[in-house]
Amino acid sequence: MENRPTSVWTSNRFWRRSATWVTGVAAVLLILLTFDSMGQMQMGTAEDIQNKVTKRIPSPVVINYKIDYVLDPYRGHEVPVIGGQEVDSATGKVSSKFEEKENFFGRSDWSEEEARALIHKGKLTIQAKNCMDCHTLLGNGAYYAPDLTKAWLDPAWSSEGPLQAMTGASSKEEAMAIFLQNPEKYPTHERMMPNLGITPEEAKAVVAYLKFMSAIDTNGFPRNFGKIKGAVDARK
Amino acid sequence: MQGNRLYEGQRLALKYFTVAVVLFGAQLLFGLIAAIQYLYPSFLYNTLDFSIARMVHINALVVWLLYAMIGAVYWLLPDEAGVEVVGVKLGTIGFYILTAAVAVVVLVYLFVQVGPGTEMTLWLITEGREYIEAPRWADIGIVAVVLVFLYNVYATVMKGNHTGILVVLMADLIALAGLYLAGMFYTDNISIDQFWWWWVVHLWVEATWEVYVAAVGGYILIKTLNANRQVVEMWLWIEVAMMFGSGILGLGHHYFWIGTPEYWWEIGALFSALEPVPLVGLFVHVLYDWGKERGKGNTIKNVPAFAWLTVETFGNFLGAGVWGFMHTLPQINLYTHGTQWPAAHGHLAFFGAYVAIMISAIYIGVQGKAGLKEMKMTRTGWWAISLITVGVLLMTVSLTLSAYTQTMVERGMHGATWEGYFIAQANKWFVQGMGWRLAAGLSVIAGYAALVYDLLTVTKKQPEEVYKAEEAAAQTA
Amino acid sequence: MFEPCHDVVCSFWSMLNQGPMTLTIILHTLIVLPMVWIYFDEKKKLQQGE
Repeated sequence: MENRPTSVWTSNRFWRRSATWVTGVAAVLLILLTFDSMGQMQMGTAEDIQNKVTKRIPSPVVINYKIDYVLDPYRGHEVPVIGGQEVDSATGKVSSKFEEKENFFGRSDWSEEEARALIHKGKLTIQAKNCMDCHTLLGNGAYYAPDLTKAWLDPAWSSEGPLQAMTGASSKEEAMAIFLQNPEKYPTHERMMPNLGITPEEAKAVVAYLKFMSAIDTNGFPRNFGKIKGAVDARK
Repeated sequence: MQGNRLYEGQRLALKYFTVAVVLFGAQLLFGLIAAIQYLYPSFLYNTLDFSIARMVHINALVVWLLYAMIGAVYWLLPDEAGVEVVGVKLGTIGFYILTAAVAVVVLVYLFVQVGPGTEMTLWLITEGREYIEAPRWADIGIVAVVLVFLYNVYATVMKGNHTGILVVLMADLIALAGLYLAGMFYTDNISIDQFWWWWVVHLWVEATWEVYVAAVGGYILIKTLNANRQVVEMWLWIEVAMMFGSGILGLGHHYFWIGTPEYWWEIGALFSALEPVPLVGLFVHVLYDWGKERGKGNTIKNVPAFAWLTVETFGNFLGAGVWGFMHTLPQINLYTHGTQWPAAHGHLAFFGAYVAIMISAIYIGVQGKAGLKEMKMTRTGWWAISLITVGVLLMTVSLTLSAYTQTMVERGMHGATWEGYFIAQANKWFVQGMGWRLAAGLSVIAGYAALVYDLLTVTKKQPEEVYKAEEAAAQTA
Repeated sequence: MFEPCHDVVCSFWSMLNQGPMTLTIILHTLIVLPMVWIYFDEKKKLQQGE
């Protein structure tokens, strides 16, 4: 063979071997990282909450607790707080106390089994009604309707908020459930949510899922949530 | 006229291309409905709501691209391997099954729309997960058809030539098909749900599809410019190295805010930053070859295909590279995530990286079907490429404008609440961006009409000299 | 010099996550480094005329 390439950089074999190596190493790294992340992202249990262990994705029994979302100077962003907050005076680190309860549909003693069944139904409904093709959940989805990541904490749905008042309900969860079943009766904007045939059980389950989702640690997304009047931080 | 003997595999490819073009039309139609609903929310309210229009819009996109991708492989496979596609009958049956399944899925989307919150809905109606909403039964059908397709490809290459393009495609297609399995399960844990969902979505569009595009792009360059195979294959391997080296861990830029650990910030920010680099490689590659071949006075063998490939290189770099990197750093993404930003990026990236090259491949098929040695661009073809490209660019710019407004007003000023969201949506700058987007969409639809007309007639509307050259070639043969 | 880990769980990877340029450089190096060996191996092979 004449005209054999003398430069490695123009050698096909060099690039083919490099491509194989690079792909292999990147894939192995991704798998290692995935194992680590999966370990950290398993859903917590009621036992974790009893032992005051913070999990990125807490047990569904958080629906029995008051949930908040506050700035943690130690981590440099907002974190979810479950059942009241404790601040470390040295570092400013915010942690959950897992103490302060809050009624959810009149009860604050939902067992782990009941709460899990509720969010199971909620998640199935969220998928079956295709929520993600109008709303974003954890910021992913379509951009036609508000993000639902921290919707549970949204000031508009609080006791002073216009949306709770509109439905005439006496609690946030009831207001949300009423709205979900008859969205066209309670227009929140010119752009209205359609009637998706959500049943009372499904509505309750979806609201449980929203409360549970607001307790997921999203590394501070969304930022400054509720900074406007009547918002989470401004409330105090 | 030159005898137009095609491989059976190439006839199958033309079937795939035909359905792809029809679904492309469906994508644009439902995109138009969704764009109208942004401005006039009562349009089709409670009949064909935004969620349904949008779902059909993005699903039609994914499915038509997959059709065109499978079609392009069936087109180049016998040509590259030098033998007929093995198991082409099975492949044809697969095509009809897949098309019937797609039709049923779309009808269910349109007329059933949503179901009760049970497992049954996920099996029969929709899985409700953006981009991969197809119900579970269809997932299983898709996997079966893809297995047949993989068998066709592997068996054919084993029998024929092992060109570099085919080797890359074989490795890439198996990864592409395998990744789909990551999206076929249900979990109550939404963070884990989205974690694996991104394996499908990201590792498709930012890794395996990109490599696929490079392989097909290489083939088109050889066909249109007589590009040196050695050079094409070298760039192909560089593309594989850089795309997978950067793109696989670039997955991290989707793991900033979904309940994943904080270390993904650092991985996602910079790994994805390198993703435009291989795209630049592809771009340089095309320019290099063009200049080289042009100097020798070589003519372009298929002008429309080459023109669309040029749109591809610019569009890929701008849409996927620049528009992606603009909002990939976590500090910026914290405010842009879940706004119109990803919409602006997505429109230009999908168009630039995939739509343009698939149209290019379809033109190669049209040329091959007629058996023309050379194909010029018609006036309608120029209108098609101009209206579509300008339309998508304008759409991207308008969505970017709306995105800036939304990011600043909703996220920056109002802290991402329900109220902040609607204040931003009502902002005049946001609304005008949506208006221009609709206008741009109409331009794309006009371009699509021209494109369909051109695909059907381009081989009959060639200038005289093309036919004369064909006759001369036929006589000497 | 080294920041303590601030994340919820401090795993091996979060220790390496020290800001914008530690974890990412380490991983990029791991990925690209084998290419140096491949380069010299190929050079040897080309010179030997393989």
